[in-house]
Amino acid sequence: MATIQIHGLVKRFGAVTAVNGLSFDVTPGTVTGFLGPNGAGKTTTLRILLGLVSADAGTATIDGLPYRELPEPLHQAGAVLEAAGFHPGRTARAQLRVQALAAHADESRAEDVLDLVGLTAAADRRIGGFSLGMRQRLGLATALLADPEVLILDEPANGLDPEGVRWLRGLLRGFAAEGGTVLVSSHLLAEVAQTVDSVVIVDGGRLVAQGPVGELTGGAGGAGLEETFFQLTREASQ
Amino acid sequence: MTELVFPVDAPRARRAGFARIVRIELLKLTSTRLGYGLLAVVAVLTPVWTSIAASRAGTGSGGPQPLYTVAGQTTIIAGGVWSMIIAMVLGVTISSGEFRHHTATNTYLAVPDRNRVLAAKAVVGAIGGAVYGVAGYLTALAVGLSFTGAHGYRLLIGAGTLADWGIGRIMGTALLGAIGVVVGSLVRSQLAAVVGVFVWSLLLESLIGGLFGAVRPYLPYSAATTLAGTPLGEAGFSPASGVAPLPFAAATALLAAIALAGGLVAARTTVRRDIT
Repeated sequence: MATIQIHGLVKRFGAVTAVNGLSFDVTPGTVTGFLGPNGAGKTTTLRILLGLVSADAGTATIDGLPYRELPEPLHQAGAVLEAAGFHPGRTARAQLRVQALAAHADESRAEDVLDLVGLTAAADRRIGGFSLGMRQRLGLATALLADPEVLILDEPANGLDPEGVRWLRGLLRGFAAEGGTVLVSSHLLAEVAQTVDSVVIVDGGRLVAQGPVGELTGGAGGAGLEETFFQLTREASQ
Repeated sequence: MTELVFPVDAPRARRAGFARIVRIELLKLTSTRLGYGLLAVVAVLTPVWTSIAASRAGTGSGGPQPLYTVAGQTTIIAGGVWSMIIAMVLGVTISSGEFRHHTATNTYLAVPDRNRVLAAKAVVGAIGGAVYGVAGYLTALAVGLSFTGAHGYRLLIGAGTLADWGIGRIMGTALLGAIGVVVGSLVRSQLAAVVGVFVWSLLLESLIGGLFGAVRPYLPYSAATTLAGTPLGEAGFSPASGVAPLPFAAATALLAAIALAGGLVAARTTVRRDIT
């Protein structure tokens, strides 16, 4: 299974430095929460990792290679970055058939992941009529279609109902238990505390803290993570 | 929802080859309604224009020459080249639609090589354009022949010429479809690109061609329409006189060169931009 490695990453947008010398690793078999306030550089880091944004300095690799050089990109990394990233006039089934074609997968695989995320009944509806939660589920189906070794998720719980959040938690835990690598950014700290093994906390594009949740919070659980997060980011901004 | 069991039995997702990327782009095009909608526009605009032109033929009010003349028959069979502009619009939507609908992220995650994606889109734009060319020509031919026959006039245009016009129409729409993809890659705003296609093809080429007659054959939309047999400038607002259209091979090469050069510029500029 693959490791995510971020080393000395720098990204500037004009005068704004979105990511400033960020370094961290994510190891297989773990769910790692990627936390930080708005504008901390989380999404930019994930997009650099996935080859969508170019870095000004540093490296971001999966299994030792930049995403664009991965020999089997969809098999090596599945990602959910934008809930709105689907053509509104395409059906869910057609969307997954496109993904299956790109992944050299049989079309039946589209049916498998539709069933997996609970969208079989809506498979022939146009995505433009989907709720945010349904789009998130479709995004997860797209990411999972090629059976990736790494999952990279940006706010995947957005729009999910409580049942969906619990299902997502089980999915990520099951994925990591089988040796998969999960990096998930989220603002829902209490939810993150129930799902992740370790966290990477960033602020202002810099690493604030990294480690197992228990170590960072002193074993205080969800409330402890929230308190630790605010304390660390407050200290970092000072 | 189904209980998840890992690892699932999925095949390895190898890097897609070029033929597969073309198939992906074709599937994307055929799985939304836009391509069919634009085809319907071709199927409606072409007979409407041809019927109006045929009705006005020989009336002396600025319409086409009478239908019993070669010029009149040429205008109604080869003049309704709406499929050419619509082919460009199709190409624009194929590429700029990725940014309008924020689908570029998933596209580049599946195929990280952006230049190959651009090339595949150009191929699909050409295929779609060719389909529009076939539909437009068959429609114009059917309506034109119907009007000519209904008036009891003999067809003065030989089968060989009609075939050449058909081939030229398909070639022209295919190349304009590819050029549309390039335009949509360079101008990511879909609305601006579509408006630009109409303004350039119908207004600016007429203006430039009217001011500088010698360059008229080299203007892309004009060159494409002459491939289809349209007299130079007739597809715009300033019919040319005293200037010959480019030969078939030269016009084809010109359009292909424009598509290639524009594609290279896009590959080195806009296609490289960050997807944020």
